[in-house]
Amino acid sequence: MKTTINKVFQVSEPIDKVWHYLSDPAKIVTCVPGASITEKIDDKNYKGQVSLKFGPVKSDYSGEIVIEELDQSAHRMILQGKGLDSKGKGSADMTMNGLLTEKDGGTEVNFTMDVSIVGMLAQFGSRLINDVSDQLLNQFVGNFSNLLAADNSAPAATTQAATAKEAAQTSTAAPEAPAPQTDNSLNAFALAGAVVKGFFRRLFGG
Amino acid sequence: MNCKTSREVGGMGHSLKRKEDSRFLAGKGNYVDDVKLPGMLHMDIVRSPYAYAKIKSIDASEALKIPGVIAVVTGKDLEQYNLHWMPTLMSDTQMVLPTDTVMYQSQEVAAVIATDRYTARDGKEAVKVEYEPMKPVIDPYKSLDPEAPVLRTDKEGKTDNHIWHWEVGDKDKTSKLFEEAEVVVKEQMHIPRIHVASIETCGCVADYDKVNNHLTMYMTTQAPHAIRTVIALVAGHVGLTEEKVRVISPDIGGGFGGKVPVYPGYVIAIAVSFLVGKPIKWVEDRSENLQADSFARDYHITAEMAGTKDGKILGTRFKILADHGYTDASANPSKFPTGLFSIGTGSYDYDTAFMEADAVYTNKPPGGVAYRCSFRVTEAVHAIERITDRFALEIGKDPADLRMQNFIKKDQFPWKSPTGWEYDSGDYHAGLQKAMDTLGYWDLRKEQEEKRKRGELMGIGISTFTEIVGAGPSKDFDILGIKMFDSAEIRVHPTGKAIARFGTKSQGQGHETTYAQIIAEELGIPAENIQVEEGDTDTAPYGLGTYASRSTPTAGAAAAMAARKLRDKAKKIAAHLLEVSEDDLEWEVGKFFVKGAPEKSKTIQEIVFAAYTNHPQGMEAGFEATHYYDPPNLTFPSGAYICVVDIDNETAEIKIRRFVAIDDCGNIINPMIVQGQVHGGLTQGLAPAMYEELIYDEEGNILNGTFMDYLLPTAVESPNWETGHTITPSPHHPIGAKGVGESPTVGAPPAIANAIVDALSHLGVTHMDIPITPYKVWKVLNEKGIVQ
Repeated sequence: MKTTINKVFQVSEPIDKVWHYLSDPAKIVTCVPGASITEKIDDKNYKGQVSLKFGPVKSDYSGEIVIEELDQSAHRMILQGKGLDSKGKGSADMTMNGLLTEKDGGTEVNFTMDVSIVGMLAQFGSRLINDVSDQLLNQFVGNFSNLLAADNSAPAATTQAATAKEAAQTSTAAPEAPAPQTDNSLNAFALAGAVVKGFFRRLFGG
Repeated sequence: MNCKTSREVGGMGHSLKRKEDSRFLAGKGNYVDDVKLPGMLHMDIVRSPYAYAKIKSIDASEALKIPGVIAVVTGKDLEQYNLHWMPTLMSDTQMVLPTDTVMYQSQEVAAVIATDRYTARDGKEAVKVEYEPMKPVIDPYKSLDPEAPVLRTDKEGKTDNHIWHWEVGDKDKTSKLFEEAEVVVKEQMHIPRIHVASIETCGCVADYDKVNNHLTMYMTTQAPHAIRTVIALVAGHVGLTEEKVRVISPDIGGGFGGKVPVYPGYVIAIAVSFLVGKPIKWVEDRSENLQADSFARDYHITAEMAGTKDGKILGTRFKILADHGYTDASANPSKFPTGLFSIGTGSYDYDTAFMEADAVYTNKPPGGVAYRCSFRVTEAVHAIERITDRFALEIGKDPADLRMQNFIKKDQFPWKSPTGWEYDSGDYHAGLQKAMDTLGYWDLRKEQEEKRKRGELMGIGISTFTEIVGAGPSKDFDILGIKMFDSAEIRVHPTGKAIARFGTKSQGQGHETTYAQIIAEELGIPAENIQVEEGDTDTAPYGLGTYASRSTPTAGAAAAMAARKLRDKAKKIAAHLLEVSEDDLEWEVGKFFVKGAPEKSKTIQEIVFAAYTNHPQGMEAGFEATHYYDPPNLTFPSGAYICVVDIDNETAEIKIRRFVAIDDCGNIINPMIVQGQVHGGLTQGLAPAMYEELIYDEEGNILNGTFMDYLLPTAVESPNWETGHTITPSPHHPIGAKGVGESPTVGAPPAIANAIVDALSHLGVTHMDIPITPYKVWKVLNEKGIVQ
């Protein structure tokens, strides 16, 4: 089952700083819900894990992440991930295109993810997969914004508040929490709640 | 209905309440899952998430650590006993458990045996399987591409994914006709892959007794005797010869063809019981049933019709691509790879037709079964009834008029079809006329015309189908070599009550009532005093089971024939008791009397009692008879269905306003049961017409493998079915009956599809593939600029 998700969001940080974070797998992966890097093979190849839980279906994917393209001048990257479920329940493939552009003194981040899922998760969640992916990406946006903000001193707090507001709908880490930190544990309960809400919103044309 | 018997006797034509229902309504049915044996273990099955993958390893260590998990069985384990492969009914082969490759999503990979069902499921979750996924072949059209991988590498010398080619009719004559015809119409149709959704899923309890070397197999099967023979043929080499195998098919909660095949789960359960010497229970869950058991339909059909401008049908040509999934696991009579698709020339009088089919392998579950259908008749009827409407549309003739013009006439029967069948009887004009009168057809056409002027969408669809059931005559019909006769054994006790046993197996059809009524009709013993038993191979006479509307045409006939043997014997005994010659006796329901002296008579009860207490010298005592009925021909029920739909021109919601179904199933045994069958069948015809389809993505994931996503119509979605009948008895059947179970499932989809297409035909729509959902209609309306 294949799906494409596109997300555009804005941060008030300068483009070079955003690029610095985005292009470093060790940093960026900490923002991906449920993901971690387990091994660095070389600058372009990594091994990693992603845990995903949705309802009764749990999947622990382990696989490879390959940086296909990293164009510093154009601020563009293509990243490919491929994983097999550790218990043999399926697999997932993802290609992520990221593009940064300067906008209004800050940076606009444009993400496109092509996700292909095979196995139990695809069977079970075929009609929810877009919502799930969308929520994951929202969570990612929140985490990424927090990560950037965390690196700043106090004045950046307003930025964080702004981005956290956007992240709020994504139901990630409590926006109230003063300590800026990335929370990349997968909040399955909240995630499911947000997905279900999204599903019903669509169903009733909201 | 004219009944020959009194209500008390309850012979043919009486709407007796179903004898079996008291136990079902009281929750006293006995299904496979109710079978609980001492020491019984439970099995669950690990299934493949991939449509096509190599198995690199299966690690059961974590599963085996769970308390209560006894064993994990893999294909390599079964390979040691040569039980890892099995034959299909169509002489193809199928994995029981794979040793190295999985061929479709949800395929069985390993079996977990545990002390209870929940532990078995926990064990299944704990089994780790390492796969190496491969690119699957999902689209049947692409499976024949030269670059497509050859899927069945297990078959020596196989160089492509083609299974078989089949054809019937006169190819050259048909080509010539199509070249020269005034009018030719053509449509590409897909009859989608769907699945039986009986309330009870499949399951078994395999109970091997080591001491006596005996297997008792409790199993959800529509054909217990055939299964016994298959087990003996497959497991004879380990000592399970046929007398040591007993198959019991207890109450079944719906079969519809889905309980004809042998699934790997049954075989694994037998193998494990044989190895561990304990009863093994396996009952699949709903998703396993939908995702792994045999599907139905999945025919891609190019349908063509040739005719004249004034509406005479001259010929038809059908070309089929059949997607069988991983293996050809169809449940057809052996000599009929496309089942009885060749009935697809329909109810019309013409002599030129050609049909051909090619079957292919893909990475989808194997099949297909005849879902409430006499072997691909649903596909055939859809093709002919849709293309007939298409022809009417092309020449601008009303589809009812066109059908009336082309019907085979009542006096043309027996009628030889261009594909070789001999239709036994029918009165198609009367059926359609009755349906039109019931509906007020011409008024509705007027209404439609006026509505169109106002931009409102309304359609009327007709389906006038001819069915072919009651397989079948032994010269053509067999399953794995066993001829498709069926049997009845009647044993009347000294007090005049009887037990009757049959080779068929009811799954809800009401055999316990209807068979008793047939015997009551013939012998005058009240139906309530006749106990009907089926499903135990140790007691029932051999038969091929219940599917394809064959029970009444075969076993029902056997019941009448066995009863007539008993009546002959009764006559001899009556002559002896009344001290007259047999020629002086006359039969009236329930008694023999002396011609001209009706007061001198003996009732059937007195006669039976004498058979045990005072039988004539030289005559065998007792009162029993058996008959194996080999039908001389199939029976050809027919029907005229008309559907009226209203389509909301803003939301595209499709509402069935009226549905009139006039069936002709010959003589009727129990009108209430027939009506019930028709109601259920119509709803199962509505299902694929508007709701059901198994959807696979290009990776071979099933996208609607649960009832969350696989839509079944319920009472809420079902319209008010208006039923009725005409009666044209079968001339060759002992009681003139034809069979009815599948007629409505076969006949309803094209009536609904034709109605929806008719509602949109003025917009240029000539065909829509089922299921026709509101979304599909909305897309059409959107394309035509009617909705934004």
